This record gives sequence, C-alpha cells and structure tokens, in this order.
Amino acid sequence: MRRLLTLSSFLLLLSIILVWWNNSRQPKPIELIPTLTGQPEYCLTCHADLPKISASHPVETFGCVTCHGGERLALNADLAHSSMRGGANPSDLSVVEASCGGTNCHSGSEADDRHHIQRVTTSIQSTYAGAIASIRFTFGAQVDLTPRYGINAVTDDETQTGITSLLAFDPLSEANPSIQKFGEECLTCHINAMPREGEDYSRQTGCSACHSVGEHTLTTAIPYTQCNTCHNRGNYDLRTMTFTKRDDHPILRIDDYYQPIGVFTKCEYTLDCIDCHTRSESMGDGDIHKDQASIEYVQCKTCHGTLDELPLTKTLTDPNDIAFTLAFLNPVIDLKLGDTILVTEKGEPLWNIRILPNGTYEMYGKATRQYFTFRPVMGTACEQNPDEQESHYCHECHAVEH
Amino acid sequence: MTDLSRRDFLKLLRSGFLYISGALALGGLLRFLDYEPNPAPQTEFDLGPASNFPLGSRTLLSDPPAVLLHTQSGFSALSLVCTHLGCTLEDQENGFTCPCHGSRFDAKGNVTHRPAEKPLQSLRVEVTDEGNLRLFTA
Repeated sequence: MRRLLTLSSFLLLLSIILVWWNNSRQPKPIELIPTLTGQPEYCLTCHADLPKISASHPVETFGCVTCHGGERLALNADLAHSSMRGGANPSDLSVVEASCGGTNCHSGSEADDRHHIQRVTTSIQSTYAGAIASIRFTFGAQVDLTPRYGINAVTDDETQTGITSLLAFDPLSEANPSIQKFGEECLTCHINAMPREGEDYSRQTGCSACHSVGEHTLTTAIPYTQCNTCHNRGNYDLRTMTFTKRDDHPILRIDDYYQPIGVFTKCEYTLDCIDCHTRSESMGDGDIHKDQASIEYVQCKTCHGTLDELPLTKTLTDPNDIAFTLAFLNPVIDLKLGDTILVTEKGEPLWNIRILPNGTYEMYGKATRQYFTFRPVMGTACEQNPDEQESHYCHECHAVEH
Repeated sequence: MTDLSRRDFLKLLRSGFLYISGALALGGLLRFLDYEPNPAPQTEFDLGPASNFPLGSRTLLSDPPAVLLHTQSGFSALSLVCTHLGCTLEDQENGFTCPCHGSRFDAKGNVTHRPAEKPLQSLRVEVTDEGNLRLFTA
C-alpha cells in the first residue's frame, strides 16, 4: 500500500512537471491591441512575418481579427483558426460582408461611394449573368437573352437597369447536357470561384481576385497580369463546352496582353487595363447588368475626343472629390485643387490624366507609374468620319502590327 | 548519523513528491488566476514634469498619439487617432492627415476632408500636485 502511495505521488509530480514543461514550450504571446477594436489579439505570435497588407489596412489599427475572424486569444493554431472567415481569404464573396463590410468600410452608402460590396456582388464579374443567359438561350432553355440567373442569387432594390434580381444558377437542374457541361467546365472565371489549376490562372476569389497581387497584399494598382488570370489564358469552345489553354507562350507584352487575334493600338497594349477601364466598368456600379457589353463604355474618344469635340474634363474644386481619394489610394499623381482632369461620359474621373497648359494631356500609369503625354484628335490630320467613333474604327489606322 | 529505514525513506520520498506537487500546482493556480487576457486599455498617461512643456509649446506625443498644446489658456490636447477607423494621424502643415484613408483635419481638429466625419477628440490634461502632467484618453 505504501509503495502504491509513493508511486502515485511520483506519478502526480511527474504529471505536473510535464504540464509545466509543455506549458513552457508554448510561444510567448505577442500581443497586439488594435486601435479600432481595443481588444488584444495574439495572432502576431505566429504571423509577425507576414507582409503589411496595405497602407489602408495597417495591422496596428485593424489587427487581424477584424478582417479574418478567428479566436484572437488562442495560441493553438487549430483553435485560433477555427472560426476564421473564408480560410486565408476573408474577401471571398461568401463571407465578404462580415469581413470587409460595415458602413465605415466597404458596405457604406452609394452617396459616400462606399457601397463596394454591393457593386461587386451585382457586377458581371460576380454574376456572370450575360454568359449564363447567352448559353441558356443558345441551347433553348430560355426564349431571349434576358438575364434570369447569376452565379449566386442577387437583388437590387434600386435598379437603374430594370433588372431587380437574379436567381442562383443551378446547372444540374438544366435539362440540356450542354448547359450542364457549361456549368461544370466554364464557371471558373467569375470571382466567386477558384480559378483553374496552373500558375497562369493563379488568383484568389472575391475582392482579392483583383486586388491581391502578391501574398497578403491589397492594392488598387492592379497590373494587367492580374486581369490576365481570367481574361487572357485561353478560350472556351462552345461546341464542346471545354476550355482550351493558350499555347503560344507569349514573350512580348503585345502578345501577352490580349488574345492573339486582337487588334490593338500602342496605347492599348502599353497601358494597363485599369488605365482605361473605370471602376464601374470593372467592379460594377451597384446595378445588375445584363452582360459585359452593357457595363463597358470607355472608348478611344473618352480620352482623345473626336474631330469635333475635346474629351470631357473637370476642374477639381471640391477637396472631397472622389478623384482625390482615388489618387490618395494609389499615389501616382499629385493632384491639387484647381487641376483639370479628364472624366468619362458618365462622369467617372480619369484621375490619372491631367490637362497641360498647352492643351495636351499628361497621364501616369496606375500600375507602372510610367509617364505619358498625348494630344486630342481635334486639330489633327485625322480623317475619321464623325459618325464612326467606336474604337474599332480607330484601329483601322492606328493598330500595331504584331 | 541515523540510518533511514526503508519505510522512512519511502515516507520521506512520498512527502517530498506531494509537497513539490502541491507547490507546483499552487504556483500554476496562482499564475492562472493572475493571468489577464483582456487587460483594460490604459487611459491615464503620466507625461512628466509640466515644466518640460513651456508656454507656447506644441508637442507631438506617440503614446498615446496626441498633440499637447500649452497656451495662455493652459494645457490642452487633441487625440491624433483618426475618427474614421482609428489610424494614427500624421502631422502636416496646418493640420493632420490620415495615412490610411486620406482624412484631413485642421489644426483645431475639425474635419476638412472625408471620409472622417467627426472632429478629433479633445483630451483632458491635468497638472498634479507634484507638478506633473497627466493625460486622460477616456
């Protein structure tokens, strides 16, 4: 009996020593108290080496949990990560409202221009409504091209396009095998879905599909290569509903920039997509649109004008003009009150293009910071027909051979 | 020297094990009870002797982020935490700028550029009986 008691007391001591030893092996917590929440987080204990995500989201202010979720005081990895939103990507559209929303963040009002999530979730990039409607119409599942389905169900109570809602597209409920195969093979480009496997397609989902160019980064200086992860990696064959990867391995940017069959001017392949295409074109404007063509509107004349008209301009007189905010977030140009910038037909600021005293224009590449100057068409020897102002007419003379 | 019997040795060993176990367990319990995972944020800051901040001085503080002013009216302070989302403001000519989202405030803390909508928080400053300055953030 005494032996048993001695053995038990030894085992008790051994157990307690093991607990102490195991506890002493735990990493010393690195505490962060973000100013936004005032609540301690221990995430940096393991993640101190992550690059800063962006100047607008400093970890000292936001911490990690505001965006990522997770158990802020846990030191065990499994427990700490157990309630994270969207895995490593809190911007995935399935969780984006909880991660990135909030009236002071990305689901504010349209008046404040902070309705980013509403814009993205109703955008063509997210709904794929045009492609779905087109395929269903082609294979007889609907009588016209009116969009009825999106990747996810979505509503717009303040529609400007007449489209108030889309139902969630379910390929398995379709009778036509081609539409079913479309569902299986052709839905990896919309930003709700992970892309195809392969380095060329590497991107995240949700906001990060466009805004995360590297590990743990967010940027508005989006290079064309990021757009290429969806827009230039190959073609869908609608006869077989299969995707054919590009196999030409382009070396020159002009070949890499667009589909090999494209015809483009020098500026189109020198600049990045976001230098010409506006925020509403690429990220949506808050309304549900029927297809890509109905949201894209910028053409050559938007910047160059026509024989009869100069491009539209706007002199910045309001310090709260959205142009200043955009230039602040991507400081490629030092905009000042009194500067005159170009604007689109819809009034969107082309904030990286400023008129010079001699009537020409200067432009800073949003992704490359390259400096360009250009002049308007008016007053040149251009012989364009005033009724033919679409870009493809400009290409007839200005396309670059390649 | 008295030889320990086997029985006494085991008794001594057993007692030792139990005492050490008890001490370690008590230490662990105290450590557990003493652990504060959610400490209340500091709201009072000792800034040192008031004489360090002469009349007319304008001093930027880093912890807490604030600007301390000593005018004819006495000591006053403005928080340099942006009222939009809490980033620390940068001192600029004629005011302060938020490096995160571009809000701007004039020297008195009024918003001159959104997205911030509220003015900067005025902080209470007191001179203690010992002549030190204390800053209160809440």
